[in-house]
Amino acid sequence: MKKNKFKQNTLPALAMAGPVSLWMILFVTLPMLYIIYISFMSRGIFGDVVYEFSLDSYKTLLDSTYFKVIVKSMKAAFITTLLCILIGYPFAYYIAKQPKEVASKLIMLVMIPFWTNSLMRLNSWLLLFQTSGPVNNFLQNAGFIDSPISFVYTDGLVMIGMITNMLPFAVLPMYSSIEKLSKSLLEASADLGASRSTTFFNITLPLTFPGIFSSIILVFIPSLGIYTVTDMLGGGKVLYIGNIIKNQFGAIRNWPLGAALSVLLIVITGLLIFIYTRFAKIEDMEVV
Amino acid sequence: MKKLISMLLALILITGLLTGCGGTNTGPVENGKAEPSTELNIYMWQQYISDDLIAKFEEENNAKVNLSYMSDNADAITKLTAGGGQEYDLIMTCDAYMESLIDGGYIEKINFENIPNASNINESYWTAKEYCVPYLMNYIYVVYNKDTCPIEINGYNDLIDPALKGQIATIDGARNLFPIALIALGYDPNSTNESEIAEAYEWLVKYNENVVAYGNAEQNLTNGTASVAFTYDGNASWAMSELGDKNNLVIADFESDPVQLGFDLYVVPKGAKHVDLAEKFLNYITDPQVMAANLVEYPYSCPNDAAVEAASDAYKNDPARDFDYKENVFFQKDVGEAITIYNDYYQKLKVGE
Repeated sequence: MKKNKFKQNTLPALAMAGPVSLWMILFVTLPMLYIIYISFMSRGIFGDVVYEFSLDSYKTLLDSTYFKVIVKSMKAAFITTLLCILIGYPFAYYIAKQPKEVASKLIMLVMIPFWTNSLMRLNSWLLLFQTSGPVNNFLQNAGFIDSPISFVYTDGLVMIGMITNMLPFAVLPMYSSIEKLSKSLLEASADLGASRSTTFFNITLPLTFPGIFSSIILVFIPSLGIYTVTDMLGGGKVLYIGNIIKNQFGAIRNWPLGAALSVLLIVITGLLIFIYTRFAKIEDMEVV
Repeated sequence: MKKLISMLLALILITGLLTGCGGTNTGPVENGKAEPSTELNIYMWQQYISDDLIAKFEEENNAKVNLSYMSDNADAITKLTAGGGQEYDLIMTCDAYMESLIDGGYIEKINFENIPNASNINESYWTAKEYCVPYLMNYIYVVYNKDTCPIEINGYNDLIDPALKGQIATIDGARNLFPIALIALGYDPNSTNESEIAEAYEWLVKYNENVVAYGNAEQNLTNGTASVAFTYDGNASWAMSELGDKNNLVIADFESDPVQLGFDLYVVPKGAKHVDLAEKFLNYITDPQVMAANLVEYPYSCPNDAAVEAASDAYKNDPARDFDYKENVFFQKDVGEAITIYNDYYQKLKVGE
């Protein structure tokens, strides 16, 4: 009898969840444990990892240098998220209100940039805005400016790069949330004499909040760890925590410190997700 | 029963997957008449060797050359020291690391009897001669746009002139930047003295004010983003030829400050499996005609005198190599434990306290 039960319950579950679990254990859990492990090791003279227990890396994290970078990255990720939501929500709202076939085309427009390699997209920003680039040439020829403005390698351009990279992550969950909103609720609100803005703030916004929250998580977390955008558009002068981690594993070759920074990033991310699951019910977590 | 079999099969598949990554030894037989290798694995910089020449080598030796690329010198060192060296037969590194690589026993001695062409290489700067074959070399100097640069540059101290604010495109890396600061302050470019390094850091803070971007110096020079570049002569050469007739870039006329000269060289990692083919490759690439052809595509400075002799006129007359302080050079040396001091200050510099 017992055997039968195994066949009926365990085997299908194993067959379905097994491969994914194995994949996750091999390629997510184990590397993560390894990262945590080497964060407690020390750095050898050649930049190799010496397997001796040490808390040096975590002590270094308390150094004001790293604290500053973390604060700076959080700030940048926060601004990116805020702007993505502010730009993305009206856009998602607009798409959701369109007829189905128009909406799918508009969603496509959001997706198209994703088919282009992100390095290409970043490079094109550089080409557009460089000193002798089309934007500067246009402004000069039109007589708006006398000498070229240096757009490239500034915090501003990095921010533009971050927002364009992240916007689809913000739009899609909010779109699906707004789209699911039952029309009858809005009609009822209108029937009862509520103005459009009252309906929006009392019905639409609260009911689509889970979508907004998903967008916040989906934008904030990758923005916090991103390093390609800052590397390319910031000219190596704008550094976020992702760049520092990359440098520690690359040029500087202090793997334990890089690992400790990664652990810190994982902890911050974990905290955010914890707050999220507390705040919004887990079944609301919609990722399109 | 069927299920049991399928489960077993799945298990076998998974174990196969896990062990599949293990080493497959395709190397030559250890003793006796060895079969010549047919595969050569090289780890080096991207965009640094002519594809045509590689193809020709493959054809001549009936072999397959697998090129893998590094993004940083540190990658090669990690490969060599973290035990991944055996995957490759030749690894490119630079002169600064040779001492520690030899001390750590990470690389093999090279049998120069099989590389007669190595005699073409100028010996004056060839250090650790038994362990490496120099490939190309780089001067790291200052080049500027004579029309847009507001000052004349005659030494490193001119680079911290406030007039250059936001105008310098520079190469990156602690061990490239700190030496110029140390020289500007009158210290040894390979200093291990913490207070000197701290002073150099203060100097670099001022330098950083003038930097517009780290990396991509050649593009930033040609598109007008930067008016000054601290870069490799090979990159300056690229920028000058890109500008063509409109070239307004000049090499800074340094009066007394030495410039850094670095070598990119090939080493054979300990435990390399296709040493015979690696030696053939080294002999091939040191052949004057082969290297001269390579210089057409990659016009860097070259320590192979015979190849420079055989090179095209365009290469010989390259304005990027037309400067008169080629003898006044310094080399990056291993700074031992002090590297952590450099790294801490470098990180602080980049974060901007």
